[in-house]
Amino acid sequence: MAIIPRVLCSVSKYFLRKCESINQRSNLKLVHTSVPVLSDRLFTEKHEWVHISGKIGTVGISDYAQEALGDVVYAQLPEVGTVVKQKEECGALESVKAASEIYSPLSGKVVEKNDAVEETPSLINTSCYENGWLFKLELANEAELDSLLKEDRYKEFLKTEESH
Amino acid sequence: MAQFQRSFFRTTSMVTRLNTRCYSKTDYANEKNIKKSVFISQSKDVYTNLALQQWLFKNFDFTNHHVLMLWQNDPSVVIGMEQNPWLETNYSELNNLGVQLARRSSNGEAFYEDNGTLNLSFFSSKERYNSRYNMEIISRGIFREFGCKTDLNSADDLLLRNNKQFSGKSAKIGQSNSYHYCSIMVRVNKINENLLLQPHGVDIQSVKNRDIKKMNLCEENPQVSVDSAMQAIGWEFLRSKALSLKDGGLNQANQQRGFHLINPTEGWFPGITEIRDNYASWQWCYGKTPVFDITQTFTVPGDLIDQKTGSSAQLKVTMTVEKGKISDITLFVPYGFTALGFTGEAKVIHNLKGKKFSIEAFNDLEDSLGVLLDDRDKFVTECLKQVMTCA
Repeated sequence: MAIIPRVLCSVSKYFLRKCESINQRSNLKLVHTSVPVLSDRLFTEKHEWVHISGKIGTVGISDYAQEALGDVVYAQLPEVGTVVKQKEECGALESVKAASEIYSPLSGKVVEKNDAVEETPSLINTSCYENGWLFKLELANEAELDSLLKEDRYKEFLKTEESH
Repeated sequence: MAQFQRSFFRTTSMVTRLNTRCYSKTDYANEKNIKKSVFISQSKDVYTNLALQQWLFKNFDFTNHHVLMLWQNDPSVVIGMEQNPWLETNYSELNNLGVQLARRSSNGEAFYEDNGTLNLSFFSSKERYNSRYNMEIISRGIFREFGCKTDLNSADDLLLRNNKQFSGKSAKIGQSNSYHYCSIMVRVNKINENLLLQPHGVDIQSVKNRDIKKMNLCEENPQVSVDSAMQAIGWEFLRSKALSLKDGGLNQANQQRGFHLINPTEGWFPGITEIRDNYASWQWCYGKTPVFDITQTFTVPGDLIDQKTGSSAQLKVTMTVEKGKISDITLFVPYGFTALGFTGEAKVIHNLKGKKFSIEAFNDLEDSLGVLLDDRDKFVTECLKQVMTCA
């Protein structure tokens, strides 16, 4: 029975060594390029993001939107079971500056909302892409995905917005 | 090499300078295209005015047309989008004085309003939302007409005499439109304001402290009335350039669309009645309150408790209110109370669950329970009633 952990150890050792060799090779070139890691989130021009896995899309607001809003003090999220349409109002976020409406980036049915955000709205400020997600949608029309922006395109869009 | 570098920097800086000039030119052109109007609502019903504000926000195109809506309400307390009416207001007094309670759909604190308050809503497209600009217009208008100097603090509040606040503010941002709603105290009944916005002694979660000093504009200059303030700020809005806040004088004002008296009726604004009814409904005003607990402690009279156990006899009542309705009641009963066979609990509590958090619900309940109660039950019922006096 003791053979299993031993095999695991040797396998992991093999992989670790492989990693080291990659590092060594890159060190030889003396070049450190930091390739920006693009996430597979899709964005809207109204600063919402969606992360798709299968038929479920997780929705949140972007870092830019979070910063523009300021400290969020209250989040009103759509109830589970609500059917929403793309670009339709489906909730509201209240910050110290203003009350701001949330628009659904895609059509579908709400299957889950983030209760943690309702209890601690500041999660949207501290972790808008991870713990600060708002709700999950079961997509009704996957063709709508084409209308959303990839992260690099969204960043470009932000730049043109700022220059105005 | 150095020379090449220098010439390179020079050309790039020239290019960026040209760029900025181009941008400012387009902005300048945009500014010229934007026309301004002042709408004065002819209604004094708080729900109708909130509905008008919402109607404009949802249906109007503000891209090249900035609107300042001026409005007044009959005595009312207007709470923020997610506030708790029982926490923010002295609820029982509200009914006694016949003051209406309304919930707006923008953020911020509770305002007390009466015919001495002037409300201003600055509408613009989402991109052109600028609260500083709006506050500056109010401040300049008041200074030009009445000579009252006001300061703007870091939180964008207008202050008189360095530290006295006379304005409340709130904002709403939608997909393409936005508004900034200010309420300024011109000649408000401050006694009523203090009475109604005073938090009561009952322990509700998260009580904020209010140590903001407030004053009326008419205390600074007795000449100021709501009508004259309307005129002053309305003109200031029209004579200022739409984006840069430059004073364009009468010339600029004459190019705008001027003052309009608005009648918020179905004929002018189709669908407004439905919006108004929603604002006036119990569902919106009370049902939207976030979940809260309310706790009160009572001393049990000596004859209701087993004297042998003695010690302190305190009955603690905690009510949980969800969506404006009582969802749970917890009693912390002193030892002696239970030892004597306390049974009233289920009857009272069971009947209250699911009822609206209001004293009326309680009165119905008392009728139905009638004479069935013994002394101990009566005491518990009385305690529960006490907790609900703020409702």
